[in-house]
Amino acid sequence: MFAADGSDPAAKPLVLPLGESALLVRFGSTLSQAANTAALRFARILELRPIAGVVEVVPNLVSVLLRYEPQRIGFHHLAGEIGLLLTAAVDDVGAEARNHIVKVAFGGEAGPDLPDVAERLGLSAGAFVAAHNASRLRVLATGFAPGFVYCGFHPERLHVPRRAEVRPRVAAGSVLFAAGQTAIAATDIPTGWHVIGHTQLRNFDALRDPPTLLQAGDTIEFEATT
Amino acid sequence: MTAKLLVSNTSPLTTVQDLGRSGMLRHGISASGPMDSQAFAAAAAALGGAGPAGIEFTTSGLDIEVVAGGCRFALAGGQFTASLNDVAIAWPDVGDLQQGDRLHIGPGPVGNYGYLRFDKGIHLPLVMGSQATNLRAGIGGFAGRALAAGDILGLIEPEQLDPGQQAVAAASAGPIRVLWGLHADAFPPEVHSRFLQKEFVITSRMDRMGVRLDDPEGVFRASSGLSLVSDAVVAGDIQILGDGTPIVLMRDHQPTGGYPRIATVIGSDLDRLAQMRPGTHVRFESVSLVHAHRLSTLRSASR
Repeated sequence: MFAADGSDPAAKPLVLPLGESALLVRFGSTLSQAANTAALRFARILELRPIAGVVEVVPNLVSVLLRYEPQRIGFHHLAGEIGLLLTAAVDDVGAEARNHIVKVAFGGEAGPDLPDVAERLGLSAGAFVAAHNASRLRVLATGFAPGFVYCGFHPERLHVPRRAEVRPRVAAGSVLFAAGQTAIAATDIPTGWHVIGHTQLRNFDALRDPPTLLQAGDTIEFEATT
Repeated sequence: MTAKLLVSNTSPLTTVQDLGRSGMLRHGISASGPMDSQAFAAAAAALGGAGPAGIEFTTSGLDIEVVAGGCRFALAGGQFTASLNDVAIAWPDVGDLQQGDRLHIGPGPVGNYGYLRFDKGIHLPLVMGSQATNLRAGIGGFAGRALAAGDILGLIEPEQLDPGQQAVAAASAGPIRVLWGLHADAFPPEVHSRFLQKEFVITSRMDRMGVRLDDPEGVFRASSGLSLVSDAVVAGDIQILGDGTPIVLMRDHQPTGGYPRIATVIGSDLDRLAQMRPGTHVRFESVSLVHAHRLSTLRSASR
C-alpha cells in the first residue's frame, strides 16, 4: 500500500495492487462527491498523459483502475509515475462533459416502488418525481453490468436505503433509486434498489460504437413523460 | 468459406472464444476469453498457428460433422476422450478433417474445459473487437449464446494466425497461489492465516462467471457483510458473500463488485483452478507481487 500525497486535502489516494496486472488508485473508502470527482479527474489526467505499459484506464465510483503489462512496467515504477501525476499541477483537464436528457415514465407497473419511496420521504408521488428531477445529476461511474450507470447525488432529504430484498430480474431501461443516487439499467439485471420508473434509453448496444452513450462525468437531467 | 461444420451434439456452456475482449471495462464488459488460456494457446501452437477463435467445450464433450470442405484441427485442455470416425485418437492431438468426417469428443478423467481449434478462422462477426462469447452480457461468439446442436459454423481463411504457445510444464498439484486482495485488510489476521491453512472444496456451482467454494472449516463463517463501495473486479478475485461463501471470479466476471475480496488468484494458476472438478480440495498460498510477475514473465517468455 502506497500513500501518495494528493494535492486535494479531502483525498489521500492509495495505490492498491489488484492482481498482478492491475492496480487501483483509490480516493476514498466511502462514496463521496469529493472522492468521485477526484477519481474522474485523475482518469482524465491519465488519458492526457498516458503512461507507457498501461493498457486500460477505467474510472470507478471512488477509484481509477489501471491495467498494465508487467513486462513493460513494474508495479513500483508505475506507482512512482502515478505519484508524480497525482501531485502534478494539471490546470485544465478539459473533460468534455455532455448533458443528456433522460425521459422516464415514473411509477406504474415499470416503477412499482415509487409509492413506497415517496411515502418513506413523506412526499406525494408527484412531489417526489418533481424533487427527483429538480437537480441535474452527474454520471458517477459505469459498473456492475454492461452500460449500468450510477448518477448522483440527490440532496440528503431524498436519501433512502436499498430494499431489504433483491429482485432477481428487472428489465433493461429500469430506473433505480437508492443511497442518494439514481441508476439506469441498460440490460436485465438483479437489483436491491427501488425501481421507480422506466426509460426508453438503452445505454448499452454492443453493435454501436461506442457501445455506451453515457460516460462518467456527463450530466443527466431526468424528465417525466406524461 | 473453406469448410462448414455441423455441431451435432454439445455439452452445456460450449462457447466460441478468442483471446478476449480487453479494454471494454469502461462500458461494463469484462474480457471473457478461454477459461484455460494455456490450453487454448497450446492448441494453437500444436497447429503451428490457429485462427483467432476456437471452441471451448465442457465436461461432456462435443460432436462435430464436417458438412463441406476441410481443415486441420487441434484438441487440448484437460483430459478428454476423442475419436475420428469412430477410431480413437490421442489427447491432446492434431489432425485433418475432411468432408463427411465425424469428430467425437467425450468425457475424460481430468478437467472441466477442452478446446477445439482450427488452422482457419471461424466466420462470425467481431463484437466490440472480439469473437469471444460473453454469456453474462449475451454478446459475441455465436449470436451471444452457447453453441447448441444443429448450429453450423463456417470456417474461413484467417486474416492472421494466433501463434499460441506450447504448454509449459505447469504445476499440476500444490496450492493455488494468490496475492492478497483489495480488501484483505478488512479481514482479521486470524482469518488471513486460516485462509492459507485450511482446505476449500470446489463445488458444482461453477460457470464462466465464477466458481463457488465450499468452506468446510468455516474460515469465513464469522465474516459479517461489510458495506463497501462497489469497485473494479479482475478475474481471479476471491470475493466473500455476506453468508461467508467464497467465490472465485472467472473470465465473464461482472465489471465491478461490492463484496469484500480477500485475495486474487495469480494468472499462472487461474487456468489450473478453472480445470478443477467439483469435489477437488484446494489450498491457497500467498506469494509476492514480484514472484507473480516472475511467473508471468516465464509464461510469456517463449511467445
